[in-house]
Amino acid sequence: MTVPTVYRDDACLQPRTGTLYDVIDIILDRGMVIDVFLRVSLVGIEIVKVDIRIVIASVDTYLRFAEVCNRIDLETDAHSRTLPDFIEGMSRGGVKHRAERKAVRGAGSKVKEAVTGKGDNGGNGGNGGSRRKSRRKDEED
Amino acid sequence: MYVYGIIRAGHELPPGRQGVGSPPARLRKLCERSLAAVVSEAPDSLLARRRDLLAHQETLLALADEGPVLPMRFGVVSPDESAVAKRLAEGEQEHLDTLERLAGRLEMNLKVFSVEDGLADLVREDATVRRLREAAQRRPGYEASVRLGEAVAAGLQRRAAAAAAEALRLLTPLSEATAPGPDVPGCVRNISFLVPRHAVDAFRSEATRCATRLVSHAEVRVSGPLPCFSFVPAATHDGAPAAAGH
Repeated sequence: MTVPTVYRDDACLQPRTGTLYDVIDIILDRGMVIDVFLRVSLVGIEIVKVDIRIVIASVDTYLRFAEVCNRIDLETDAHSRTLPDFIEGMSRGGVKHRAERKAVRGAGSKVKEAVTGKGDNGGNGGNGGSRRKSRRKDEED
Repeated sequence: MYVYGIIRAGHELPPGRQGVGSPPARLRKLCERSLAAVVSEAPDSLLARRRDLLAHQETLLALADEGPVLPMRFGVVSPDESAVAKRLAEGEQEHLDTLERLAGRLEMNLKVFSVEDGLADLVREDATVRRLREAAQRRPGYEASVRLGEAVAAGLQRRAAAAAAEALRLLTPLSEATAPGPDVPGCVRNISFLVPRHAVDAFRSEATRCATRLVSHAEVRVSGPLPCFSFVPAATHDGAPAAAGH
């Protein structure tokens, strides 16, 4: 026999001195159980609500990683984060609407070009040029 | 009757601690021979509320300050006092042995999560990711993006797993035993350490050093000290001893 349990958000959400929050899995899933005793049913309880930085396994996550990864592309050549990359990173970060994002991105690459002094035919050699083209094609999809 | 844990009969209840429920139930000691169970009235409907989880956890922590305790999992309820007494009597020797084994020891828990911060390094260092990224740039598309993202996810997890192995290598010598924790989403390693009370501070500072050093590879979170949840036999039945998860 078990007592029905209702999941409450306030059970897990806020870390309190970093303890309960991080050890709730241990409290709910470890410790002694004496089988002739009843145990409160924990069915339906999401054992741990971690502030997950990433949940690996979903296609959405993969697509997001791919996007972030493409954004990093420019950094690999430059060894470190340069101002233009930073601006471009920002422009893709917080803006929700696609059109707006495009506009901001456009502005970002203009600034980038201004800072690096590289136009469409300057760039990082043939490879960089084609990369830029393919990204642009991506945007137009 | 809500059961918090099992202690030696001579172990005093911590003053000022209250039990689960609202208003909080009064804690009592139910003695049977050389053992005692720490109990209170069970609330009518017991929920995994923050308040009740904390009452459970903090009662056990306060008890652990004064001597060894066998913590029950959250939510164990006995039909009445005599059932508790019967189980204490049946498992007396086993419980005493476990109390002896855990005396002067506490549990520290380590969780390692992968982080995105290392993505730039991953792109630089991982040939597969680099190759898939170039492929995705040559022929952009859904398939290519998914494959690239998948490789990135796997790479980030590998980095975190390597960091976890390194943390484990440094922390295990400071402990007497380890026990794997339950699977937690996003967590590449969840493990508990049995640490002598006098070594808890050393363990914690080593863990903090690890967390700082590995920050670009993984998020290393250490919690504790805790009552030894992971080092008691998970279930006792028919008086037969069950092995602790080592």
